[in-house]
Amino acid sequence: MDLSLFAPLLGVVLLVSLALGLWVSVALAACALFAMYFVSAPSGPVLMTTVWGAANSWDLTALPMFIWMGEILFRSKLSENMFAGLSPWMRNLPGRLFHVNIIGCGIFAAVSGSSAATTATIGKMALPELLKRGYDERLAIGTLAGSGTLGLLIPPSIILIVYGAATEQSIARLFIAGVLPGAMLCLLFMGYVIAWSLINRAKMPEADPAIPFMERLIATRGLLPIILLIVGVIGSIYAGLAAPTEAAAVGVLLSLFLSWWYGTLTKASFTDALLGATRTSCMIAFILAGAAMLTVAMGFTGIPRELAGWIGSMNLSPYALLAALTLFFIVLGCFLDGISVVVLTTSVILPMVEAAGLDLIWFGIYLVLVVEMSQITPPVGFNLFVLQAMTGRNIFQIARMALPFFLIMILAVALIVAFPGLATWLPQTMLSN
Amino acid sequence: MRPILTRVYALAEMMAASCLVIIAALVLLQVMGRIADGTLKFLGFEAVGFLVPSLAEIAGFLLVGASFLALASTLRHAVHIRVSLAISHAPAGLRKVMETLVLVLGLALIGYFSWYAVLLSLDSYQFNELSFGIIPIPLWIPQAVMALGLIVFAVSILDDLIVQLSGGTPSYVLAEQGKGIEGAD
Amino acid sequence: AETKWDMPTPYGDNNFHTMNIAEFAEDVGEATGGSLTIQIHSAGSLFKHPEIKNAVRKGLAPIGEVLISRLSNEDPIFGLDSVPFLATSYDDAKKLYDASRPLLEKKLEEQGLQLLFAVPWPPQGIYAKKEVKSLDDLKGVKFRAYNAATEQIAQLAGAVPTQVEVPDIPTAFSTGRVDAMITSPSTGANTKAWDFLSHYHDTQAWLPKNMVIVNKAAFDALSEDEKNVVLKAAAEAETRGWEASKAETADKTKVLADNGITVVDPSNELMGGFAEIGATMVEEWKASAGDEGAAVIDAYRN
Ligand code: NA
Ligand code: NA
Repeated sequence: MDLSLFAPLLGVVLLVSLALGLWVSVALAACALFAMYFVSAPSGPVLMTTVWGAANSWDLTALPMFIWMGEILFRSKLSENMFAGLSPWMRNLPGRLFHVNIIGCGIFAAVSGSSAATTATIGKMALPELLKRGYDERLAIGTLAGSGTLGLLIPPSIILIVYGAATEQSIARLFIAGVLPGAMLCLLFMGYVIAWSLINRAKMPEADPAIPFMERLIATRGLLPIILLIVGVIGSIYAGLAAPTEAAAVGVLLSLFLSWWYGTLTKASFTDALLGATRTSCMIAFILAGAAMLTVAMGFTGIPRELAGWIGSMNLSPYALLAALTLFFIVLGCFLDGISVVVLTTSVILPMVEAAGLDLIWFGIYLVLVVEMSQITPPVGFNLFVLQAMTGRNIFQIARMALPFFLIMILAVALIVAFPGLATWLPQTMLSN
Repeated sequence: MRPILTRVYALAEMMAASCLVIIAALVLLQVMGRIADGTLKFLGFEAVGFLVPSLAEIAGFLLVGASFLALASTLRHAVHIRVSLAISHAPAGLRKVMETLVLVLGLALIGYFSWYAVLLSLDSYQFNELSFGIIPIPLWIPQAVMALGLIVFAVSILDDLIVQLSGGTPSYVLAEQGKGIEGAD
Repeated sequence: AETKWDMPTPYGDNNFHTMNIAEFAEDVGEATGGSLTIQIHSAGSLFKHPEIKNAVRKGLAPIGEVLISRLSNEDPIFGLDSVPFLATSYDDAKKLYDASRPLLEKKLEEQGLQLLFAVPWPPQGIYAKKEVKSLDDLKGVKFRAYNAATEQIAQLAGAVPTQVEVPDIPTAFSTGRVDAMITSPSTGANTKAWDFLSHYHDTQAWLPKNMVIVNKAAFDALSEDEKNVVLKAAAEAETRGWEASKAETADKTKVLADNGITVVDPSNELMGGFAEIGATMVEEWKASAGDEGAAVIDAYRN
C-alpha cells in the first residue's frame, strides 16, 4: 500500500481503538497486528518474540522498584513532613511548593534513568500534598508531567544508553553532556511556574504565616529523612555499592526503614504498597509491550525509515534539517514511544546528521529533548499514562495541562541549537583527552 | 464459579508481587555482598567475591512474572488505563454496545497473544533454548509464566464479558467509578 | 519474483561488522539485479541480539547476524572460539574456524539454519586501571564476567568475578565496582575506555566471531542463480571481513594509544600464567564437547 495512505490509516486505527475505550496497551497491540497484516513476516510469532524480548529486561526492573519506593513513602509520613519542612522556606518564592515537583523530579532524575519512574515516584508523594494544600491541580499535574521527563536528560538515562550503543558514542560523555541542559530545563520550568503564579495570584493558596527563624529550623528537621534517602540511593551508586539499576532496590529498603522509623510500617501498609506497585508497574510494562509490538511492526513496514529518508532527500541546510527533524520527531512521537522512534530511524538519520557536520554527542542531547516531548504528547505518552493512572484525568486533559511545558521544551531545543556549548562544553572540559 | 475465579486472580497477583519482592531481595543480596567484600578488603582480608550469578537475567525473568501475572488483577482494579472520554459520555444504549465491543476485541486479542505465547514457550522447550549468562536457564520456564499470565488475563476478560452480556457491570467499570487521587481527599 | 529480506543485526552502522554486511547486502542486490534485496536493521532495531538467532530459525526474519558465543550455553561448539589462549592470532583463528566449520554447520542445520559467513572481532585483551605484570597482580581484582567462560577465567586467575552489563561498564569502572575486563580494542575504543581506565594488555586471548546465518527454508526458496549470488557474496564478505578485522585491530589499538591508554605488551610471566588457564579450559571444553569436539581440536592442531 502507498505510504501516504498507509501511515495515516494506522494513525486512524490507533485513534479509533483508543476512542472506543480499548485499554491503551491493547489498542497499541491491535494497531501493531493491523500493520503486520500488510507484511510478509508471520504476525503472531513476530509480535510475541518481541514482547518477550521487551518484557525480560534488566534495565526495566528499576521501574517497579522505584514505583514501589514511591508507594511506601506515600504511606509513610515522609512526604507530609517534607512539605512541612520546605513550606516555611519557600513562602517568599513565587510559585512556592510547585517548585518541589520540579526540583524533586530533577533530583530523582539523578537516580532514575526513566521518565515514567520519575513521574510515578515524585507524583505519588507530591501530588496529594499539593492538592491538600490548595495548589492548582492543573499546574500541579502539568509540572509533574513536564519535569518527570528530566529522568531522561539528567544522567543516568535509558535513552542515552540506547543512542550511545547504536552510534558508538561514549555513554560516559553523553551522560555528562546531559547535565547542563537538564539544569537549564529545570530553571526554565521554574521560571514558568514563577511567572504563572505572579499572573494567577488568585489561584495560589494562602501563604503560610511567617514563622521565626528558629521554628523554621525545627520544622526543617522533617527534611532529614528525605535527604538521608536521596544520599543513600545516590551514594550507593557513587560508592560503587550498586549499579544504577540496583540502586532502586536500595531505595526500597531505605523507604521500608523510614516507614518503620515513622511507625507507619504495618502488614497492611506493606501489602497495599506492594500491590499498588505491582499493578502500576504491570500497567506500564504492558503498555511498553504494546509499544514494542508497534515498534517491530513499524520496523517491518519501514514507515519511519522512509519518512526519515524523505527528509534526507530534501538536502536541507543544518538549521532547516534540525527544524524538519524536530517536527518529524514530534509527529512520530505522538504515536510511537520516543525511544522507538530513535531506534527505528537512527540508521537513516545519522548519516544526514554527520553530513551536516553536527557533533554526535550534541545530537544525542538534542534527541533526548525531542524524545522527552514525546512523553507528554497524546495519544501515546508515558508520563500521561502514569498521571492518568494516578489522577483519573484522561490523557488528553493531562496533555493539555502539560502543553506549556511542551512549549518550554521546544524553547530548550532552540536554545541548545543556538548555544551548542550547553551540551558540548562539559564533556570536553571534564574529559579533556 | 465466582469464588474460584476471584482466588485465581488473587493468587496470580500474589505471585506477581512475590516476583517483585524476590527481585529486590536478590539485588540487595548482591549489594550486601559488595559491602561485605569491601569491609573485608578494608580490614586487610581477601575479598570473597560474593556474586549472585546471572542476577541481571534472573531479575529480567522475574520481571516478566511480575508484569504478566498481575494483568488480570490490574484490569479488575481499573489500573490498565484507557481513554473513557467517549464511552463515558455516550448514551446508555451506545455505551453498552461500546463496552461489549471493547471486551470482545480485548478477548480476541489477548486470546490470540496467549496462544502465541504458549507456542513460544513450547518451541523454546523443543529446541532447548537457554539463557546466555553464567547459569543456563531454560527459556521455556519464564515464557510459560508469561503465557500463564496472558491466559489468566484472557479468562478475566471473558469473565467480564459474560457479566456485561448478562446485564451486569464489568469489574473495571465499577472500579473506575470509585477513582480519584488517592490521599488527596 | 522479487524477494526482500529483512536482516536484523546487533551492532550500530559504524561498526566494521555492520559495514561489511552492508557491502554484502549491496553486492547481493546488484548481482541479482534487484530480484533479491536485503534490508539491514542494525543496532537491534528489529530484533534485539538475544532474539536474533531464534527469529531467523523461525523464519520471522530470513537472515541475521549473531555473536557465535552467545549460543555457547546451547552447545559447546558455539563456545569454541571463546576458549581462551587456544587460538591467539588471526592465522590460528582462521585455522580453528576451518576445523570447526563442519561441526558448526551441522549444529546449525539441526535448527534449520545455514551458516553464510563468520568474521572475527579483534583479539581480546585485558583492560585495567593499572599495569598487570603477572597473574599475582590480578589477585582480588574485580574482573568483569558476563558468561560462564569469563567467570571461570576470573576465578582461575584468582580475580573476583563481577557481573557488569555492557551499558553499565563506564559507571562500574568509575565507581570502583569493577577494576578489569577482557574485551577487544574495538569495544575499548568505541566506549572511550580512556575516560575510565588506563592500561590495555594486548594478550590476544581469543578472537570471538560473529556469524551471518540464513533460514534454510528461505534460502531454498531462492532461484539457483540467487543462491549462487548469495553464496559468492558471502564468501567475499568473509574474506573482506577478516581483512577488515585486522585493519580494525591496528586502527583501534592506535586510537587507544593516541588517547593516552598505555598499550602493554604482556610479560612472559603473565602469558605463562594465562597459558596454564588456557590449557585447563581447553581440556574442560573437550570434556564438555565429547568426541566430536575433541575431533575438532585434533583437526585444528594438525
Ligand atoms: Na536520569
Ligand atoms: Na507521545
